[in-house]
Amino acid sequence: MRRVLRHIVLASMSLAVAGGSHAAEPVKFKQMAPIYVDGKGAGIRQPEGVACRGNALVVADTGNGRILRYTIAGDTWTPAGEITLPQLPSPIRVDMNSKGEIFALDGASRKIARISPSGDFLGYVVPSGEVQGAVVPRSLRLDGQDNPYLLDVFSARVLVLDPSGKIQREIPFPKGYGFLSDLAVDAGGNVYLLDSVLKRVYKAAKNSAEAVPLTGSLQEEAYFPTSIATDRQGTIFLVDQNGSGVVLLGPDGSLRGRRLSMGWKEGFLRYPAQMCITENGAAFIADRGNNRVDGFLITE
Amino acid sequence: MTLRTKTALVLLAIVFTVAVSSSHAQEKFRLKPGAKGKVCLTCHESFKEKLKLPFVHTPVKAGDCSDCHNPHTSSYGKLLASNVNRICLSCHDGIVPGKARSTHKVAAEGNCVKCHDPHAAKYRNNLLAAGNALCFGCHQRIAKQIAGNRFQHNPVEKGCLSCHTPHGSANTLALLKTDVPGICLTCHKPDAPAFGKAHMGYPVAKSDCSSCHDPHGASTQGILWGKPHQPVANKMCNQCHMDSSSPDALKTRKAGYDLCRGCHNTKMTEILGRKRIHWPVVDRTGCQNCHRPHASRENALLKKPQLPLCGECHMDTIERLEKSAVKHKPAQEGNCTKCHLPHSSNNVFLLDNTSPINLCGTCHDWQKHSSHPIGEKVTDKRNRNLTMDCSSCHAPHGSDQKRFAWYDVKIDLCVQCHEQYKR
Repeated sequence: MRRVLRHIVLASMSLAVAGGSHAAEPVKFKQMAPIYVDGKGAGIRQPEGVACRGNALVVADTGNGRILRYTIAGDTWTPAGEITLPQLPSPIRVDMNSKGEIFALDGASRKIARISPSGDFLGYVVPSGEVQGAVVPRSLRLDGQDNPYLLDVFSARVLVLDPSGKIQREIPFPKGYGFLSDLAVDAGGNVYLLDSVLKRVYKAAKNSAEAVPLTGSLQEEAYFPTSIATDRQGTIFLVDQNGSGVVLLGPDGSLRGRRLSMGWKEGFLRYPAQMCITENGAAFIADRGNNRVDGFLITE
Repeated sequence: MTLRTKTALVLLAIVFTVAVSSSHAQEKFRLKPGAKGKVCLTCHESFKEKLKLPFVHTPVKAGDCSDCHNPHTSSYGKLLASNVNRICLSCHDGIVPGKARSTHKVAAEGNCVKCHDPHAAKYRNNLLAAGNALCFGCHQRIAKQIAGNRFQHNPVEKGCLSCHTPHGSANTLALLKTDVPGICLTCHKPDAPAFGKAHMGYPVAKSDCSSCHDPHGASTQGILWGKPHQPVANKMCNQCHMDSSSPDALKTRKAGYDLCRGCHNTKMTEILGRKRIHWPVVDRTGCQNCHRPHASRENALLKKPQLPLCGECHMDTIERLEKSAVKHKPAQEGNCTKCHLPHSSNNVFLLDNTSPINLCGTCHDWQKHSSHPIGEKVTDKRNRNLTMDCSSCHAPHGSDQKRFAWYDVKIDLCVQCHEQYKR
């Protein structure tokens, strides 16, 4: 009996050490050169969206009503053109698919424009199939298979589409939510919903039709988080707009700290809007109040 | 067991309790025989008059001053035996239900003496005043409203306690005895023909009466809230709801902002045409996130005054404002729409002006007083993509610094840009 007990104690100790070392692993933000300008040297203005995939970076230059493209190489970036479309006067959220097509939510029309890699307008994303009720997207994401996920605030649901825009399934908003501002889809197909008002994250496991709370209220850690992103390790990043910082959560929703703070100089944020993280751990933040895109190398 | 036997048993229990407690006090302080109830009055003579009042607190009547006071020393004011906010609970524990759904703040905080005299009073339950007068001592806004109402609600005249409990309610909001509509239906019978006619035949028996009616009375016919929505005032419920004969009579004809667009089309087109929407406008609840659909006491049918209303979602901003030592006046006064457009805007933060400088200039005559260069041509030294405007130095809602600057205005603020002067 004593031997059994000893085994149990040792096993639990080693588990605790393993778990503890993971939980204690600090996530570091190493500053890269921020992006201030387009390829012609004209300044970015009030950017609200940013997306990255492979070595491509796309910025919603909201204040200037255009999309900017950059190529990332290590910790440097080079401009790769701009897209201005009458169908997209006020881009506020962006994402990309594996073909390099850009999906941009327009703040004025609240429609999602689909743009070809060469910058042509391909049409708006209109869910087809059996879609009940009106659709007003607040945000969008694409998963690894290019399926668009729409955060539909009007009908209080996430619409999961296939790459052609046909509806696959719906995830209703969780009970008692405050206001959902953003969503993220991790590499495993789990969907995360960010509640800005209740300062809480919900998770719908892959293929689940129900979103359940992943965290309690993060009131002590976040002021008004408005955007959520995940990286390859499963770390969840909440962009705290009014707190001008980033809150880090483990894949299980456990708090892993808070990074960055408010300021005008490089390395600081002012009312950041959206964040993306590349497969190589380069993070870009649309720093709306600072009229720039901040870049960081994230090490875990 | 007969009623008489029950009463006798209760009386016996009371006498026993009083006897036990007084003997306890007598023993605790080893009072001389016959001193109980008299020895304190040898000095506190004015109390003799007080004891002549019709309602005397039981321990006072029994002469058990030491039930609440320590005759020798105490850590609490008035030689009380324990904290003034807790002492009443030593006998009256549970007066505020645990896990109450609503509580009367003074009761929850133990400020019993705000309403009760701990020794004796002219009014039942040792109350400091009779009837509504007691409540109106604090609830002056309601008192003023009731005094000015053209149409009174009968239970209000009878007394606040017709509908409310004074200390706390385990199951209801607003200290109500029963939740709405239950409490209303104790007097108003929905199957009465007059009731049906007044409500245009709509099945409102299970609806929230207070969404249209002010329970404290009003100056509008049918005691509707002071500012009724026009279709309600005109009894045109079917403008928004299905016909009263429909099986879904209370269902609205459309959802979200689409419903309101039916009448407010110009306004909605203007709102939806701007670059930045206030997102709740276009969610499932739509306009009703902020506006009451039937009637309100606030302008523009707002659910409540701006500060608490905006604070329902933007609590972080309100909390920071409250913590700020120096507050911007419009923010402090809860006049959020002085600077922000509530529905949509072409500008960040839903500001009411493209230029923050011009926005501030609507109140502040900065061009005459400011000496620091600001404007589109002046680059912020901290960030080459920013130009200097008012918010470069001032926190728009408030801060802990003079003139709600971001940093101490003596040095810290200036050296943010003028680093050469840093000490």
